[in-house]
Amino acid sequence: MESNEKKPRYGMVIDLDRCNGCGNCTLACAVENNVPPAHENANERTGITWMRVQKVDNNRPYPENRSVYFPLTCQQCDHHTPCESVCPQKAVEYDTETGIVAQIPVRCLGCRYCMTACPYHARYFNWWDPEWPKGMETALNPDVSTRMRGVVEKCNFCHGRLQAARAKAAVEGRRAIADAEYIPACAESCPTKAIYFGNLADAGSEVSRLAKEKNSFRLLEQLGTEPKVYFRSEQSWVHEQMNAKLKTAEKEKIHG
Amino acid sequence: MFPWVYGFAWTPGNIIFLGIFFSVVAIIGATVLISLFRTYRALQVNKTEAIRWDSEFHDLPATSRKCRHELSGEFKQRTCDNGFDCRTCATHAKLIQNKTLNSDDIELPIQLFGFTIPTDRLYHRGHTWVKSDASGIYTVGLDDFASRMVGTPDGIELPAIGSRVQVNGSAWRFKKGESVMRILSPLDGEVVAASDGSDGWYLKIKPLTKEVDTRHLLRDREVAAWFLREFEQLQEKLADPKVGLTLADGGTPVQDFVKAYPGVNWDGILGDVFLEA
Amino acid sequence: MDKKFISRGVSRTSIGNFGLWISPWALMLVVGLYAVMLCLFKGLNQTNMDNRFAFGLWIYLDLTVIALGAGAFFTGFLLYILKRKELKAVINSAVVIGFICYSGAVGVLMVDVGQPLRAWFTFWHPNVHSMLTEVTFCITCYLMVLAIEYVPVILKNRKIKHVSSMLVFEHELHKLIVVFAAVGTFLSFFHQGSLGGLYGVLIGRPFAFRPALGIWPTTFFLFIISAAAVGPSFILLTTALVSKITGKKLVKPEVYQLLGKISGSILIVYVLLKAIDTLIWINSTSPSLGFSAASFYKFSGFGTWIMFAEIVLCGLVPALMLLNQNIRQQFRWLITAALLACTGIVINRFVMTIQTLALPTLPFDAYMSYVPSWQEVATFLAVLAYGMLVYSFSFRYLTLFPQERELQSL
Repeated sequence: MESNEKKPRYGMVIDLDRCNGCGNCTLACAVENNVPPAHENANERTGITWMRVQKVDNNRPYPENRSVYFPLTCQQCDHHTPCESVCPQKAVEYDTETGIVAQIPVRCLGCRYCMTACPYHARYFNWWDPEWPKGMETALNPDVSTRMRGVVEKCNFCHGRLQAARAKAAVEGRRAIADAEYIPACAESCPTKAIYFGNLADAGSEVSRLAKEKNSFRLLEQLGTEPKVYFRSEQSWVHEQMNAKLKTAEKEKIHG
Repeated sequence: MFPWVYGFAWTPGNIIFLGIFFSVVAIIGATVLISLFRTYRALQVNKTEAIRWDSEFHDLPATSRKCRHELSGEFKQRTCDNGFDCRTCATHAKLIQNKTLNSDDIELPIQLFGFTIPTDRLYHRGHTWVKSDASGIYTVGLDDFASRMVGTPDGIELPAIGSRVQVNGSAWRFKKGESVMRILSPLDGEVVAASDGSDGWYLKIKPLTKEVDTRHLLRDREVAAWFLREFEQLQEKLADPKVGLTLADGGTPVQDFVKAYPGVNWDGILGDVFLEA
Repeated sequence: MDKKFISRGVSRTSIGNFGLWISPWALMLVVGLYAVMLCLFKGLNQTNMDNRFAFGLWIYLDLTVIALGAGAFFTGFLLYILKRKELKAVINSAVVIGFICYSGAVGVLMVDVGQPLRAWFTFWHPNVHSMLTEVTFCITCYLMVLAIEYVPVILKNRKIKHVSSMLVFEHELHKLIVVFAAVGTFLSFFHQGSLGGLYGVLIGRPFAFRPALGIWPTTFFLFIISAAAVGPSFILLTTALVSKITGKKLVKPEVYQLLGKISGSILIVYVLLKAIDTLIWINSTSPSLGFSAASFYKFSGFGTWIMFAEIVLCGLVPALMLLNQNIRQQFRWLITAALLACTGIVINRFVMTIQTLALPTLPFDAYMSYVPSWQEVATFLAVLAYGMLVYSFSFRYLTLFPQERELQSL
């Protein structure tokens, strides 16, 4: 009920200890959002993966070797959203109602300034014309429009699903949607349930509770952009590695 | 961009930014339109000749724009900024007020390095002379310097009888080699007669007003100073760069400089002499 | 055969020689335009840019040529607003170079964006808080101003000025040129600044991010000053180069020295401010974002030497050289200093654009490298060739250096 009084702030908590790097989230995301199969010449730096999984290693020899998988998507910065403020033509929208940062590809010029602004590399440019193998067009999601060559796109927390949930609620005469009615494809499809999704503004929600735990952290938190995607891990080396730069800098500041 | 465009909001940022943008566009547009309108107006009232001279004059090298009072030694250095029109020059008015011209002591034509400069007439910086007769008609001709330079022109284009000429406007044209030059008119008036110069004159001009202002024309002693300078400049340009400047120490200048010195950039020199950029 | 079009009193090489000179540039332009067509029709997959290196050679060169092209506005400002009449000797050349730089940059930008046909969207739906919006608006307006400033130079062609309406229009336009000089200065101020702001605002790129002074990051001001500083140096260099190629004296030695002096006096201010800015960045801005400044320089290729080269070797050194009258009077050293100053800005723009993107931001990110594709290089070479052609034709048929006629008569 609390979520109805305050504007929702949708966010995620990703449990790194649960993620086994299967990549199902990437696949589900692509299917949900009509991301075309990669072009034959595409590589990991030119392909489109709104959700990608990155392996991070502690670089220690066996038996101390440890690694985790980071499912990386748009971190949905809530404050001074870097990509939103730089777009010259308002093709990036920060929805004040939900906190979701969305790209408007039909407005996009393809200047890619937003991509240089994003420290998470969560934005993707259509270097090629989108193409689906013959017959696969029939499997496209009718709720999400496809994008053309030369524009930028990125994760929008499956905004299409939010719209559908809202429409359903409206038909049923409800003003707000229930938490369970809206969940992005990646969170829904994760076989290990590593991705928690929900309303961070609702103090009673699971994501809100998990986000506040001491094991939760955000990437590049110190930039002050208030990302709404949290990661959690019980492994101390993950925390150390993620904050390594922060700590070195602080040390130097003291000595300097 | 406009209030009716989807998504527009009257935020301070939009108002300031677009306000400045539209102001800049308006200033650029208005300035171009004003120029176009002024062009139209100038063409309507036929100010082309005056504008052409103004434009040519400012494109002349500074060495060709020396003030006559520098040539006469009254200034150490002064470049004319008034298109050689001393009639509207405050400095000139002040200078001639301060001294009384004593023209009685020069009677005979001056001879200078073989050039003859008659002193019974007035000279224009574009190397024409003007002489009035009793009936108030002014005869215009090329001075000795220019005559020798041009020699026999390859062609000549004279104004129609009855047409009007104006000071520093085009009087007549001639062709010499590859160059087509225009001669500046020393006076305002109506052309009453024109000749190809074989009798020593080119135009006879009837002034439009009774009083003829000739303050812009060179006279008496300053003519010699000016001639000397022009001759020096010509020598500099004709001199062999390896040898440097050599002063003529006798003899008479040739009758047709252009013919006598074939390998020289005459197009440029004629431009300097006849003040055409 | 084209003598009627060549200004009076100056000599130009024969039309045959001229043809020989321009044909390689024309060929380069054709190859470049082919590359442009590939990019436009096949898409930006023809480049080696990618999602991580989203800006590449083109943006770097845009920033560089626009900085070097600043000579046009700054010379105009000094000549028409501050009445430094000596600069009349180079203003026409400066305008042509400015026009080439800006039109070339806009041309490349049109290839660089994914959907060039949507370029008008920026005007239609401007996000006034984006530096790129400011850049787009100002550069478009300023290119318009430069084109208008170019018109009188063209109309002064020996043949064209015989047409009365052309002559009179030139005259009337030139009478109001001070308006364009003022507007040009205003616009240049903002877009040079915004180009600096472009990277200075990137909070997600701690290497480039700088705190704001008012509504603009410090790079906004540094870019304005640095552009004003090297603009005259670049005019000096191009004039010397044209003089060297054509074997003609184009301006008096005093003009070269004046350009050097102007460049030096602004460069010293720039170097001082840049040094302060860098110190603040090292000690405050960068650590507060969680990155020690030293961490940016631990990668091979981008050691601290690049900072030294930019600020000291190609900043402080040429500034001091240009401020020394004895050095200015020795042409060779004057040229060296101007070259160093321009190199400093070329490095600065490189550091801001390429190094910023090469450096990792996420803790597990790797250092990025990027090598432009031949299509990117050819597109840039097309701009160079285009510039060469426009300048060559302008030099041949228009009066770019009014003093040339005086200086060559010997």
